[in-house]
Amino acid sequence: MAKSVLVDLTRCIGCRGCQVACKEWNERDARKTTFKGDFTNPAKLNSDTYTNIKFVETAEKNNVGWSFIKNQCMHCREPACAAACPVGALTKTAQGPVSYDYDRCIGCRYCMVACPFDIPKYEWESTSPWVQKCTFCSERMNDGMLPACIKTCPTETMYLDDYDKIVAEAKMRIAKEPNKYVQHIYGLNEAGGTNWLYISDIPFDKLGFKKGIPNESLPNYTWSVLSSIPEKVVGIVAFLGAVAYFRGRGSKEEGN
Amino acid sequence: MTNHWIDIRNSDVILIMGSNAAENHPISFKWVLEAKEKGATLISVDPRFTRTSAKADIYAPLRSGSDIPFIGGLINYIIQNNLYHEDYVRLYTNAPFLLNENFKMPGELDGVFSGYDAKNRKYDKKAWAFQKDAEGVVIKDETMKNQYSVFQLLKKHFSRYDIDSVSEISGTPKDLLEKVYKTYASTGKPDRVATIMYAMGWTQHTVGTQNIRAMAIVQLLLGNIGRAGGGVNALRGESNVQGSTDHCLLFHILPGYLKTPSASETTLQEYNDKWTPTTKEPNSANWWGNYPKYSVSLLKAHYGDNAIKNNDFGYNWLPKLDNGQNASWLMIFHEMMQGKFKGFFAWGQNPACSGSNANKVRSAMAKLDWMVNVNLFDNETGSFWRGPGVNPADVKTEVFFLPCCASMEKEGSITNSGRWAQWRYKAQDPQGQSLPDSEMINDLFFRVKSLYEKEGGAYPDPITKLAWDYGPKDASGKVTEVDTHLIAKEINGYFLEDTEIKGKLYKKGTLVPSFAFLQADGSTSSGNWLYCNSYTEKGNMMARRSQEDPTGTGLYPEWSWCWPVNRRIIYNRASVDEYGNPWDPKRPVIKWNGKKWEGDVPDGGWPPLKNPDGTDNPKAMKAYIMKPAGVAHIFGPGRADGPFPDHYEPLECPIQENPFNKSHRINPTAKLFFEEGKEEDIFYTCDIRYPYVCTTYRVTEHWQTGVMTRHQPWQLEMVPQLFVELSEELAAEMSIKNGDKLKVKSGRGEVIAVAAVTTRFKPFKIMGSTVHQIGLPWCFGWQYPEDGSGGDSANLLTPTIGDANTMIPETKAFMVGLEKI
Repeated sequence: MAKSVLVDLTRCIGCRGCQVACKEWNERDARKTTFKGDFTNPAKLNSDTYTNIKFVETAEKNNVGWSFIKNQCMHCREPACAAACPVGALTKTAQGPVSYDYDRCIGCRYCMVACPFDIPKYEWESTSPWVQKCTFCSERMNDGMLPACIKTCPTETMYLDDYDKIVAEAKMRIAKEPNKYVQHIYGLNEAGGTNWLYISDIPFDKLGFKKGIPNESLPNYTWSVLSSIPEKVVGIVAFLGAVAYFRGRGSKEEGN
Repeated sequence: MTNHWIDIRNSDVILIMGSNAAENHPISFKWVLEAKEKGATLISVDPRFTRTSAKADIYAPLRSGSDIPFIGGLINYIIQNNLYHEDYVRLYTNAPFLLNENFKMPGELDGVFSGYDAKNRKYDKKAWAFQKDAEGVVIKDETMKNQYSVFQLLKKHFSRYDIDSVSEISGTPKDLLEKVYKTYASTGKPDRVATIMYAMGWTQHTVGTQNIRAMAIVQLLLGNIGRAGGGVNALRGESNVQGSTDHCLLFHILPGYLKTPSASETTLQEYNDKWTPTTKEPNSANWWGNYPKYSVSLLKAHYGDNAIKNNDFGYNWLPKLDNGQNASWLMIFHEMMQGKFKGFFAWGQNPACSGSNANKVRSAMAKLDWMVNVNLFDNETGSFWRGPGVNPADVKTEVFFLPCCASMEKEGSITNSGRWAQWRYKAQDPQGQSLPDSEMINDLFFRVKSLYEKEGGAYPDPITKLAWDYGPKDASGKVTEVDTHLIAKEINGYFLEDTEIKGKLYKKGTLVPSFAFLQADGSTSSGNWLYCNSYTEKGNMMARRSQEDPTGTGLYPEWSWCWPVNRRIIYNRASVDEYGNPWDPKRPVIKWNGKKWEGDVPDGGWPPLKNPDGTDNPKAMKAYIMKPAGVAHIFGPGRADGPFPDHYEPLECPIQENPFNKSHRINPTAKLFFEEGKEEDIFYTCDIRYPYVCTTYRVTEHWQTGVMTRHQPWQLEMVPQLFVELSEELAAEMSIKNGDKLKVKSGRGEVIAVAAVTTRFKPFKIMGSTVHQIGLPWCFGWQYPEDGSGGDSANLLTPTIGDANTMIPETKAFMVGLEKI
């Protein structure tokens, strides 16, 4: 059973311990930034920043509000990046993480195009660039440790467990306090389901979560076409073969 | 804190005011959220909607500097609606005490209490005396209906804080005031409890102490002190500042909150007599009556065998203050500015950024002959001589930089806000040439001592007679390596002779089990009586790591150690009724089982006030053992600015007149620094150049002035430079956009900051006018990042004035102007 994480946005206090713990564990650098008017910094994920907290001011419940959203690879159940990768550098592991093998990567960046959440980042400045994204701390989990972000979090915003336990927990929390949570688990169906799920007290579209992501795994879209190719190829070949046979029969008699 | 961090999870209502705990004490939110999961209501009151407000059930805005009206309104609400815990108030506070019949209050005296001396800006506190009988016992009215009773005076005083008046002065909408008051006051019932989490947002005002007093009064009225989930909880601003105040690194106190002697206390007897309270009140433990045991034990710790009865145990080797001398932080730089200091140790601090009116602080440093800056990194203080606008050629100060190592590079203890002292271990050796502070002090001591011994001096004994047994010594007697365990043991204290107490023999040289065993005859030593019990013959109590919690209320009695004597919730004898039964059986702290107390360490082992048959127990002691009369102070006769809190505006404020006290706009006892002709302490109030209320605060990502965190690239990446938060409305008025560069200026200085236009500040309606408030963090300094891109310290704006009792600078409310650049 794949490991999953439930991110309960009502618990996050925006301390960004997760952002720093991730950098420390993964030995990522810091970049020179400027303050642009809101606290989200770096403003977007990059090859040195696998996770960040987005600060969003909302006026949803009272006339003022502030939400803090943890942003990182969603570790989709059927990842588009893995399907798009021509060399199998990205793979969905049985343990849950979508993992990246830099040895196989050819730098085509199809994964960046394919990802509906805009997650994989590229080391543009490097002469031997890798794709960089959250690893779900698979090496830590294999050693029985929590991912760095989850271990650091002071308020237990993230809860790690097997996938079906996470789904059950999400449903239970929403059912227990229906006036507190919006009636939606983000990641349950989006992109065919992800291993990082979110529940929230503010509607997801007000928090900048990507809208319009289909409730089907993206590989499925191409799969419905791709999977029918063998039959179609065989069918077309057989049909054309039959046509050729019938046509060929006539010409043989004429030539006599 | 009267309680502790984990205990917060036991509250029904949590008020976070004068604090942004989610931002600055993020780990505490583990406990706050746990309380919320159990149904608690979180209230955030703050001029700005913060990361704490984001998690609150109720958010109420208020203008910086209007906390006393806000809380005063709550006191009024509690009394008018009879929501106080009457038995608690009657039994455990001085509410029934009668004041002398001449006592008058600001409502009648236009802004001051009886006894005010306008010329000297101080009170003669004899005017606040209680009525006493022929034996000297205070006359009380247990019904609390007598017009001279503290309770009736309290009611009358706070009747001026009706909701309309409060709303006018604070800018908080009336419906929100009602909501907050109703929710909080619901905990006056014995089985409900509330706590307050506060920090610098309350203390850093000219009325800071009275802000806290107001809340203490609320908690006493509601019967919340001594209770699990209750208390008055100060969130300390540094991981070991509680340790530093316990060991009294402040001019006016000695370790264990003893008093620094003054020049007129020429003998130990006079000193002890002055500070040892006496009482005629029956059944009062008057624990500070043990003062001489602690002062003499301290002297024995300092001077060892050199301290004997004949020389007053070395009392005259202690430095003394001139009578009435104020040697507080603001005074240091005030006098330094006048050239009165030759040298200055800036030890583990960055005053060039942390000091209020930082321009004055920086200029003052140039008057020194020498400075020693001890820190992990170079900073604005050690490099003041090459700061912006300073020509190094003009500065004659010789500056020494001593690199010190970080906390994980040495062994020792820290004490957290909850009074829990935890032993910490060394993770790695100090880097490069850096040294632990203890080694530096050790080295310094022996060099100074040796110079005194060779050359003499004005008064060598205070140094040369010190006992200094902190490690193995070389042939010359110098300690070669400091062992912090030896320091910790000295702090705990030793029996200096074989001593018999209650039939048991304690051998000379053994550690004293607790401060109850300390003596005034020189037979015991203790470097800090509060910490006596922390390192005993049973071992280092601070190093304990047991996760057992027998009571289930989060006391964890064997996880580290706390003072006093591991009592986790202080004043806990007020958590029970007269028979020793908890007011709240679901969350008991202690309980009398007929023979002794169970639960937390009781605030003294004496039996409950009443016997099971309802008669008074003569062996009982009243609950508030640290007060001479044994009861908590609703009427506070010891504060410089009045026995009850009252509203005074900050030094710089947006209104001409204080509607509560028309003749006294500001605290009538706050020390004024400004002198005509000396512009450095100038202040402006109701000046069109400085029309906005300004406050300063912290961010999670940076630490204090940022000396450590600006050097951490991951931290700087998240919050890279100084910003100023302002409302969308103010931004629209001034055509300011998010990300614009602004100049923020006050009467004393200016800084450049990036505009953060936000919905989280909104304009206030104060006394009928619109008042805007803005705020900035104070974690930046010109020295690093070296290109200056971080900006400089917000303290370049703040004023030279402090609280009337503590002198803590008023950095939370002052007036500024804004300019686009």
